[in-house]
Amino acid sequence: MRDGIPMRGPVHGHPQRVRSRAYRFLRARWPVLVRLGAWSVLEAGQTFVVGYALARALDAGFLAGNARAGLLWLGAAGLAVGAGAYGTGRVYGVVAALVEPARDRLVTAVVARGVREADPGALSGLTQQVEIARDTLAGVVMVSRSFLFTSAGALIGLFSLAPLLLAVVLPPLLAGVALFAATLGPLARRQEAFLAADEALAQSLGEICPGLRDVTAAGAEERVAGTVGERTAAELRAARALAHWSLARVAALTVGGELPGVLLLLTAPWLLDHGVTPGALVGALAYVTQSLLPALDNLVHGLGTSGSRLTVVLRRLTVRDPEGRGTVSISGSAGGLDRPRTTRGRPASAPPPSSCALSVTSLTFAYGPASAPVLHDLDLTLPTGAHLAVVGPSGIGKSTLTALIAGLLTPAHGTIRACAAVLIPQEAYVHTGTLSENLSLHRSDPVPEQELLAAADAVGLTPLLRRLGGPDTPVEPAELSAGERQLVALTRAYLSPAPLALLDEATCHLDPAAEARAERAFAARPGGTLVVVAHRMSSARRADRILVMDGVRAACGTHAELLRISPLYRDLAGRWTDPAQLPSRSPLTPSPPRAISESRRSGSAPRSCG
Amino acid sequence: MNSRSGSATSAAGRALSRAVLRQGGARCAALCAVSTTATAAGLLLPALLGHTLDLLLVHAPAGRWLGCCAGVVLLLALLDGCAGVLTGTADAHATAWLRRRLTGHVLALGPRATARFGAGDLVARLVGNAAQAGTAPGALAALLAAVAGPVGGVVALGLIDPWLAAVFLAGAPVLALLLRAFARDTSACVAEYQRVQGRIAGALAEAVGGVRTIRAAGAEARETARILAPLPELSRAGQRMWRVQGRAAARAVTVAPLLNLGVLAVAGLLLARHRLSVGEMLAASRYAVLATGVGALVGQLASLARARAATGRLAEVCAEPAPGHGTRRLPPGNGRLELRAVTARRGGRTVLDRVDLTVPGGTTLAVVGRSGAGKSLLAEVAGRLADPDTGEVLLDGVPLPDLAHGELRGAVAYAFERPALLGTTVEDTVAFGLTAATPAAVRSAARRAHADDFVRRLPDGYATRIADAPRSGGECQRLGLARAFAHGGRLLVLDDALSSLDTVTEHHITRTLLAPDPDRTRLLIAHRASTAARADRVAWLDAGRVKAVGTHRELWQEAEYRAVFGDGEEEIRDEPGTGGRG
Repeated sequence: MRDGIPMRGPVHGHPQRVRSRAYRFLRARWPVLVRLGAWSVLEAGQTFVVGYALARALDAGFLAGNARAGLLWLGAAGLAVGAGAYGTGRVYGVVAALVEPARDRLVTAVVARGVREADPGALSGLTQQVEIARDTLAGVVMVSRSFLFTSAGALIGLFSLAPLLLAVVLPPLLAGVALFAATLGPLARRQEAFLAADEALAQSLGEICPGLRDVTAAGAEERVAGTVGERTAAELRAARALAHWSLARVAALTVGGELPGVLLLLTAPWLLDHGVTPGALVGALAYVTQSLLPALDNLVHGLGTSGSRLTVVLRRLTVRDPEGRGTVSISGSAGGLDRPRTTRGRPASAPPPSSCALSVTSLTFAYGPASAPVLHDLDLTLPTGAHLAVVGPSGIGKSTLTALIAGLLTPAHGTIRACAAVLIPQEAYVHTGTLSENLSLHRSDPVPEQELLAAADAVGLTPLLRRLGGPDTPVEPAELSAGERQLVALTRAYLSPAPLALLDEATCHLDPAAEARAERAFAARPGGTLVVVAHRMSSARRADRILVMDGVRAACGTHAELLRISPLYRDLAGRWTDPAQLPSRSPLTPSPPRAISESRRSGSAPRSCG
Repeated sequence: MNSRSGSATSAAGRALSRAVLRQGGARCAALCAVSTTATAAGLLLPALLGHTLDLLLVHAPAGRWLGCCAGVVLLLALLDGCAGVLTGTADAHATAWLRRRLTGHVLALGPRATARFGAGDLVARLVGNAAQAGTAPGALAALLAAVAGPVGGVVALGLIDPWLAAVFLAGAPVLALLLRAFARDTSACVAEYQRVQGRIAGALAEAVGGVRTIRAAGAEARETARILAPLPELSRAGQRMWRVQGRAAARAVTVAPLLNLGVLAVAGLLLARHRLSVGEMLAASRYAVLATGVGALVGQLASLARARAATGRLAEVCAEPAPGHGTRRLPPGNGRLELRAVTARRGGRTVLDRVDLTVPGGTTLAVVGRSGAGKSLLAEVAGRLADPDTGEVLLDGVPLPDLAHGELRGAVAYAFERPALLGTTVEDTVAFGLTAATPAAVRSAARRAHADDFVRRLPDGYATRIADAPRSGGECQRLGLARAFAHGGRLLVLDDALSSLDTVTEHHITRTLLAPDPDRTRLLIAHRASTAARADRVAWLDAGRVKAVGTHRELWQEAEYRAVFGDGEEEIRDEPGTGGRG
């Protein structure tokens, strides 16, 4: 179980791509950077004035016996503090102009990927990782900008007090920054390793906690404790390794922040001999201890953690999983292994001859090169206007067949020639919005109201439409029952211009009467062809031909033919029609089979049919 | 959700806090010692620097003092380094210790933990709260430093000149008031931001659920645009947040420098009157900085409070009593199950009310009843996933709590309506149990559960990762059944474990499952009449009591019994996919 959970960690590194994207992003926003610089100058000015004013307050004021001048200089420093604070406030606004567009882009990318790949992970990406990226990006910008301008202000201040001071302060400062820069890479890697270990642990716990009942029932407590223990130990190792790298920060701070102060004192006799005033010396010490040291401290701590967190999160959000690992679609669930081969929209093959809505020849499909085929050498031809029901045990490949016809999967062998198809899966998609918006998903323009109402009437949506208060009332999907959502999805598909409708258990939450009505509506669509993955026998009996899927074999024919040739079909049909076998079924025996011609294409058929 | 008395929980929280500090005793003590020493050295340094500067300014020999300054700076660096490493490792060890302890306890609690806290909340406690609670050693040491630094700073100011301390203490409250004002209007714009974000997330969740429809319609781009429609609003709310933060930050960054300037001004006046040296003025300025560190105290207190609150939440889990296990072994037998006057309550409601029920060894009993009749709790009690409040449950004559853990779990196998499939691969999932089942047993069990066919169609067959194999409800159930079959045992409990199967598959499975087997007792919760019909006997549960026990044919005579199954056509389908991914 050690490698059970994807360690989406530092392994999939594409730092260059992230970096070049960041570069392009910043280059396009140079006016923002200019504004950022302009407001930061105020902060740099504050740094400069505070140190310089202190030196002047001493030299020209308190040490010269002129307390008033000293106080005035300090007052000037106070004004500079106010101006600097104003600048800081404005900097936030400018940082927003940098961070918010970046966040917009990430949200756009995450949503697009979520819709494209049906990745439920996109949701946590949207609400958590994007927010981490937003906060850390702002943090990185603030901290590095603050360091740049504060040190510029301090260095200019030192230079104007006495150029010699720079010679003492600058070398250790540069050495400290260089030391920090050198350790930034390894530190970021430790940070990433820690985040990955933390995530792996969280994922493991996230799987186990909802399954505690099963763990207890299986008596697998020790095994699970072992798994979690390994993850906990891995996280501890990563955390310890990260903790040891904090020494690098301390070293950089000592060299770059503390050493200049000591050096100033060591060289003080020499400096004083070379014309540096006592005030200038105190001012220099103030620059070093009260501006440079805190700025470096912020840089070292802020960039060390935010920077690596940002890199990790950005990589996670913008780079696709390189293993191409995805999910397999088996029955109705959203799928993925097919993803690289998925053709957009319709299959690439040519449309069928006009008299024929669907033609499938020697179709073979398997979900992986090593797996057993789901469909093997399937042949199927449907004329325009036909009504086919597909029946078979669960997991036999009925949904796979509809997905292949709809072009969501690509066959390994064989051809599918189909006219434009609309697929209605069992999980009905209704989004927050008006009914009319929901119903026009398959149309390029909003559906005219007359047509919409007629479709609603045909499929059986009218009562819901009335209850909600018309097609332009907003609907909350959560407030609809599963059956009502299916009615919306069915009506939407009914309005689709595609002549071939594929109902993949799309009526499973409807009662038999509602199901019958909806299926008849589809069967009666002008020029429409209907394929129904049936979930009730009555639904199968409405079709004029039935495809029985039984493992890789399949048989196609009418009800009577199949009863004769398919043992599985007999079995399926027999589950209801043999009351002797199960005494309990007798009161529930379905109504006798209706002639197919009668049930087909009769929009006014009686409502009770199951 | 906390029904326990607050004081008991907080006492447990305190006990756990102490235990956290105790387990890392040496490390915590070292950390406190290091950070206290570092604070002391930090307080000493400005005075040393000031005195050295004074000596240098009058060209007096200052070599020894310079050496002292360098030494203290070096010592501070060393201590800071140690404190950093110690904080990191102490926190990491405390977190890991808490997680191990909690995981062990949660696993011992099993479904009781989920029932009491909910799965999501448990994850949050084990991941987030444990990490927060683990910061307690570091937060405590940092708090010591955060108190000692500012206090020492003010004292040092007073020692240099009482006026300096006075001006600092007078100015601090004024500026603190100024600071307080900005905490106000941030929450409104944060809420607005989160509201818009929630709308986008909601629309995305809908679209992810409807991906087959969207993909089949080729409407990905359109749907993306529709979901992203509120993005400009989000952007505006975000900009507002930054502006509010900017105003707050602007005020925050004025406090320390202005206090510092105030102290410097007073020091300057004293300097002009020769009551203070230049070095002392420099020292005063640094002490003022140290003293303004009191702002950090608020943050440190808050993080210690967070750590303690998190510890309290962990202590709640630890305070939940875990069921013990006995040491007895089972006599030879075929799984005769007896429930004697079993009463079980859930949330104040009596779900099982003095249930007496005996399942003779080697037979099959179906339990039927309307929803809420207590069927699932009966299934839980039968294999000790839950304990009855009163009464007892015996397996082959031995009360379940007397059995050793391994003996109990080896004897009882469970399959559920919605099994949680744990493990890495499909093979691992089926083999999951007290001891891992052999590959041959896994395949044989999968065949019996009619799961072999669809497993072999997965990309890597049995080696397919379970997370990569989304399954319909019926396929999940068949894997869960295979897991139960692979582990055997003398009692098999099926809690509605066939409900999502199509009738053909269910028929095939029940034919082998319910075939006469003198070595194994089977208890199954059934919703379908056809399943009940195949059991040897049926127990009809109504409002927590056994209304009748008999064969399905006998009971079917009663209209009320027939009504339990409702009416409606049987379906040949799977339930909609649970979407559960591992």
